[in-house]
Amino acid sequence: MLEVIEPGLLTTVQDGGRWGFGHLGVPESGACDRHGLAVANLLVGNVPDDAGLELTLVGPTLAVHEEACLGLGGADLRATVEEPGRRTIRFSPGTSRMVRAGSVVRFPGPPAPGARAYLAVAGGIDVPEVLGSRSTCLAGGFGGLEGRPLRAGDRLAGRDPAGWALVDRAWPSSLPGRQDASSGPIAVLAGPQPERFPDGTLERFLAEEWTVSTHSDRVGVRLDPLGDPIAPRPEAAEQPSQPMTWGAIQLPPDGRPVVLLADHRTVGGYPVIAVVARVGLPIAGQLAPGDRVRFIRTSIEPAQRAAREQAAIIQRVARQLGGRVGEEGGTPGRDPV
Amino acid sequence: MIPPEIRPFGDGALLVVLGDRVDEELNDRVHALDERLRRAFASAEGWGRPVPSFASLLVPYDPLRLGYAEALARLEDVVQTDHPQDGLQPSLDGPAADPLEIPVRYGGAEGVDLDAVARAVGRTPDEVVALHSGPAYRVFMLGFSPGFPYLGPLPAALRLPRRAEVRPHVPAGSVAIAGDQTGIYPVEGPGGWHLIGRTELPLWDPERAPPALLRPGQRVRFVRLETVER
Repeated sequence: MLEVIEPGLLTTVQDGGRWGFGHLGVPESGACDRHGLAVANLLVGNVPDDAGLELTLVGPTLAVHEEACLGLGGADLRATVEEPGRRTIRFSPGTSRMVRAGSVVRFPGPPAPGARAYLAVAGGIDVPEVLGSRSTCLAGGFGGLEGRPLRAGDRLAGRDPAGWALVDRAWPSSLPGRQDASSGPIAVLAGPQPERFPDGTLERFLAEEWTVSTHSDRVGVRLDPLGDPIAPRPEAAEQPSQPMTWGAIQLPPDGRPVVLLADHRTVGGYPVIAVVARVGLPIAGQLAPGDRVRFIRTSIEPAQRAAREQAAIIQRVARQLGGRVGEEGGTPGRDPV
Repeated sequence: MIPPEIRPFGDGALLVVLGDRVDEELNDRVHALDERLRRAFASAEGWGRPVPSFASLLVPYDPLRLGYAEALARLEDVVQTDHPQDGLQPSLDGPAADPLEIPVRYGGAEGVDLDAVARAVGRTPDEVVALHSGPAYRVFMLGFSPGFPYLGPLPAALRLPRRAEVRPHVPAGSVAIAGDQTGIYPVEGPGGWHLIGRTELPLWDPERAPPALLRPGQRVRFVRLETVER
């Protein structure tokens, strides 16, 4: 059982997302960096997409009332664990540990690099499923804990805390556990309607080094140009709204692109200059205000191969750690400890 | 009739473009194709629920299960088959169906922009209300936020660009206009449309099946409720 002492900037319950309700205007939600969430979950024996906490830039202070097995993924918010009568110890991303009752876990942040950390509890966070997911839908005010960010006094527990606990695990150092703006340019595909932009706009978008604006949230990351602004054709601004996806990069007439994240609007009117490849989405979810970022063009087949390789890594680590693999992975044995 | 065009939208979705206008006939075809795709892919591996909009439709697929070439070929098969019945789907309300009535309190605290809208279009607030509550509107799509219906077409005399400033907290149930559309904010949230009234009809409830009160193709009419003096 965890109690929120300080909620942090924006702490929400998120899982692998609420897929299949875009036609009702419901965004996917879920962890903006699903890879980071998977790391945290696998380290405590959960399936990769189970519900955990997403912590943003400045994380919460949590009191641990009952012994809990916690795993950490995503950005490094310089977490610490103060156990009663012991010295304060560092809690690093990519590790899991059993935390004794009476301990206090802090996530002071801000991370450098990255924006979001993921805290998993063995058994997965115990909140009801709404429309097939435990994720918080902030735009709809449902899912997660009462459809809102955590606040002081909230209490959370794992659904099956004793069942699957893995402790003292670490993410294999040979595999990518953390990705962020320092991981290199983000892979993108050309947008669906190049005719909405003057010739050469995508090339200029790719040549630019962008700065992440402070006006960024789970809906989208706004980018400021260093060089001359680019814009769609004036007549393209008149087009009726079209469906949008997580990773779509909209270019409004003001020349400040928005990379859509997990809580994106399901439709939008601004033309899409490029779309982040699936493998690049976790990096986009770790962009923090002030980060410099570049994009690199790829094509669909290589992008899909990379997505399958990334998924295979998660499955491989799950087996290696002895936890649950997920929907395709069957039922591996419990931790022998 | 222009044949639909299929374009890749990232590495996990395809966009089917049927046109570039807000038009009832075009929108009928979008929703008919939506239904046809759901039937065709109901038992197929790797396809997500399509997301229809005014004149285009997003078809998500799972690149871990379905490669691009295969996804494209299968979608082309469904999209390019000639379907003269498209647009006449029985699930869409015909023009004869009675529109759903939505009771609205216009103006005052419930519609803070009504007076400004009236000034901007050169009418009295009463005329704006009469114009807005006159026609039966079509639900073109649900989108933006959970359960938000895009309704239209709005009478030409009421068309204004969106507000310059987005309000961070538009109350749930707010009835709003922008461009050639009118809509209803189902839950509190940010919004840039002009707020002219409010309804107490619950448009969105994730615990209800279906969660959204309205569905595409349906017709609705706004009915003026007298604002009670307080």
